[in-house]
Amino acid sequence: MHLIRDIWQSIVRRDPLSTDKGKSELVFLNVWLHIHPAKVKKENLKFRHTFYLGFITFFLFLILVTTGIALMCYYRPFPPQAYQDMKDLQFVVFMGPFLRNMHRWAAHGMVVCVFLHMCRVFYTGSYKKPRQFNWVVGVFLLLLTLGLSFTGYLLPWDQLAYWAITVGTNIGSYAPFIGGQLRELLLGGHSVGEAALIRFYVLHVAVLPAAVILLTIVHFWRVRKDGGLSRPVWKLKPQKAEALVTIGAPATTAALQATAASSTKTYGLMEVVTGKPIFETVTPEEEEDTVFSYPYAFVREAVALMATVTTIMTMSLFLNAPLEELANPAKTPNPAKAPWYFLGLQELVSHSALLGGVVAPALMVIALLAIPYLDRNPSRRPGDRKWALWLFTFFVIANLALIVLGTFFRGPGWALVPPWVHVVGGAE
Amino acid sequence: MNRRAFLSWGTVGVVALCSGVLVSFGAVLRFLMPSVFYEPPQSFKIGNAGDFPFGPPTFLVEEKIFVFRDRDKGFAVASAVCTHLGCTVAHFASDQKFHCPCHGSVFGADGSVQHGPAPRALNWFEVTQARDGQLRVDKDKIVPPTYRLMV
Repeated sequence: MHLIRDIWQSIVRRDPLSTDKGKSELVFLNVWLHIHPAKVKKENLKFRHTFYLGFITFFLFLILVTTGIALMCYYRPFPPQAYQDMKDLQFVVFMGPFLRNMHRWAAHGMVVCVFLHMCRVFYTGSYKKPRQFNWVVGVFLLLLTLGLSFTGYLLPWDQLAYWAITVGTNIGSYAPFIGGQLRELLLGGHSVGEAALIRFYVLHVAVLPAAVILLTIVHFWRVRKDGGLSRPVWKLKPQKAEALVTIGAPATTAALQATAASSTKTYGLMEVVTGKPIFETVTPEEEEDTVFSYPYAFVREAVALMATVTTIMTMSLFLNAPLEELANPAKTPNPAKAPWYFLGLQELVSHSALLGGVVAPALMVIALLAIPYLDRNPSRRPGDRKWALWLFTFFVIANLALIVLGTFFRGPGWALVPPWVHVVGGAE
Repeated sequence: MNRRAFLSWGTVGVVALCSGVLVSFGAVLRFLMPSVFYEPPQSFKIGNAGDFPFGPPTFLVEEKIFVFRDRDKGFAVASAVCTHLGCTVAHFASDQKFHCPCHGSVFGADGSVQHGPAPRALNWFEVTQARDGQLRVDKDKIVPPTYRLMV
């Protein structure tokens, strides 16, 4: 029994969880958990503050990695075998459709949750000092999420995939000066073919996921280093908002009072420096209002994880990922539509490829990246930032309206067809 | 070696190292650009003149071209690739126009844009007669829509 106890204690080196010390050690002696603070503010655990959207996005990414690796075991990125393997996954492989469904719905869910997460961060003003840079990292994660969706879209090598990527990469070729070469580089050729499939595969399973993981690490790290989650908007007091934020403030020149080391304490501190911290600090009374991450934060995270996995699994039981016929370069389906989250873009492109496909999206991305630096208003209270809220809401509604228009109101030949009108046969 | 010389040579070394790294980035980009494209040739034979009927154009699936044959004017070859985003257009016998299914572009009988977001007219390719009598199309040679080959 001693042996088993010794082995266990060599792995888990902490005091029992019944003690405060044990609860803290669980967090900071564990490489996976130490991204959490040992204690969290009670108010930050509130569901209505964050809707746990960041966590849910991360959990969806975990589902995508897991199911994606499983799918890789059966998929050969080479036409037409690629399509054959999709058929196998659909009809031959045990649980194949279920895993593919999970991968697809988690991917769609991730796009939705990244977007909602961005909205939450904007509406609570959480991109403001000192969190500007983390907003920028977040925008890049949004772009990477869309890139992962886009590259994954080609892999089934069906009609839907082939034409969505043909249209998508042609949009890119409208970029001035480098557009044509950029497309050639991406496709490894002049049209969507076998070279394009292997390149998209490499991007989808290696390059982009690695980039997402690296940026996610930075994103999480910065959440902690910028002072943890931002305070809920309803907790903000007018005078506090600014007083609490001190960025690179000049160090107090007064020398630290030297205190004799106590023989009853242990010290693990490496160095004592003077100066104010660069992150959002906590006042003593707020410190009172904290609880240990174990179990309060961890239980909530576990529930969010379970809820995410359950939702995706349930969807995957009842909703099947589509698979159309084999990619046919000669026959463009009518209408040929991109994935729904790109339909707003396609709607813009249907008016002008250069303006709608390159200029507008580029401006949109630049605007998103610039938000924390253009918005000089330090207040996070909704009452103080009416203009910002209205502008962002307009941006969100315009995007959603374009997507709805492209999804439901566009018929054969991209003609305006209301969803309640059924077009028989279409133009031939 | 004195301090000044060490720092000078050190600076030169660092600059050289950085340039080397930059050049190697360029090499990586060049690596990613294929030297050989395993794609169908741009110039190809499409068969004998007699294979093509008069009247509505013949659509060649693989090559994505329309072959027009007119009793008086001869042969002309139009691209079936929409100039907007590369979807394959269809030729409607009803109105003698090309219709793109992706974003609703419509091209007139001469390939000119009549409706929709397409920025340019459809391409017309040079068609010649090869030595063996077959028709040869060269997609690298764009010709005006009035170009015709009499056989």
